[in-house]
Amino acid sequence: MPDKNLKFLVVDDFSTMRRIVRNLLKELGFINVDEAEDGVVALRKLQDGDYDFVVSDWNMPNMDGLTMLQTVRADNRLQKIPVLMVTAEAKKENIIAAAQAGASGYIVKPFTAAVLDEKLNKIFQNMESKASA
Amino acid sequence: MQSLQGQTNTADTANDTMPDVSEHQTDSNSVVVREINDQEEGMIKSDSENNCNLLDQNILDQVGHLTRSLHNSLRELGYDKQLESLISEVPEAQNKLAYVATKTEQAAERALNATEIAMPIQEKLSAEASQLTEKWKVAFEEQSVQVDTEKFRLLLVETLTYIDNVPEQTSATNAQLIEIMMAQDFQDLTGQVIKKVTSMVQRLENDLVQILLANAPSSTKQKSADSGLMNGPVTNPEKAPDTVSSQDQVDDLLASLGF
Repeated sequence: MPDKNLKFLVVDDFSTMRRIVRNLLKELGFINVDEAEDGVVALRKLQDGDYDFVVSDWNMPNMDGLTMLQTVRADNRLQKIPVLMVTAEAKKENIIAAAQAGASGYIVKPFTAAVLDEKLNKIFQNMESKASA
Repeated sequence: MQSLQGQTNTADTANDTMPDVSEHQTDSNSVVVREINDQEEGMIKSDSENNCNLLDQNILDQVGHLTRSLHNSLRELGYDKQLESLISEVPEAQNKLAYVATKTEQAAERALNATEIAMPIQEKLSAEASQLTEKWKVAFEEQSVQVDTEKFRLLLVETLTYIDNVPEQTSATNAQLIEIMMAQDFQDLTGQVIKKVTSMVQRLENDLVQILLANAPSSTKQKSADSGLMNGPVTNPEKAPDTVSSQDQVDDLLASLGF
């Protein structure tokens, strides 16, 4: 079972989408959720605070989600944080690019609460098996 | 006089660049070309008087002819009027789309607000009910050891208070459900607006394609605009073969890559 106090960062340029993800996370028991409206704000928050999990959109102004993911993976202090991409980008090359950049999971919008739950759990399982290995 | 000869050829070339023009159009174009030539003659005479560079003038004239020829063909086919009226609709279409964006955003906010109000009410109802059930279970278990009527009485009062409050809280939730329902009224309005914009874009596309067909060199081929990694939602999956249309396909693709 994942720790319900895990600190989430939800990154999306649309406030409604951030609210939806935040509410879904709350429904799943995760109440420690913060928001950022683009990659630049997200990186600043990630570097300042001890976040455990990032849920990010792709297409955002200032810095897109892929660039943010690549920056996170290149940062020694942040590289281990799981990053789940939740995006409307649905080209195969998008999915491959995200996987190569080190995304922990990929969800295409529109998505359901069940899909979010399933992908989160899958990532938690991977984390646990890595931690115990 | 030599330069004038060149002008006539240029005009002919301009005429030739328009494929598939009907005989009638060719006739009227020839009339136009003759008119232009008459005008050019005057211009060239004055140019010679000013001792200008004839070669530069020649190029300018060619461009002028092409432009006029395109303009005339547009006018003859009635495209200029069609385009004019369509172009005047473009700012209107922008306003309409801005209206759609505002309406949908408001609706999303309304629904989210209502949900966030209703959720705690439901959670409270549920939590209190669970607490009461637990208390009753304990009371019944203790009863077998020692009967405590006062404890039962207090529990009864607590339960009655809870039941008494249920209708008030469910009607509060109901009000939020109705709010969520009413927030969907944007769909009717935005639907109509989107249909209008869609039909305007279709007409614009149609007219532009006709103009292109009449004037573009045949070798010009359309290229797909969907390149790069930021294309947003797939709006017509049938026409986008290199995209996924479900979460299952995403999972399959990632699995096939070993993720």
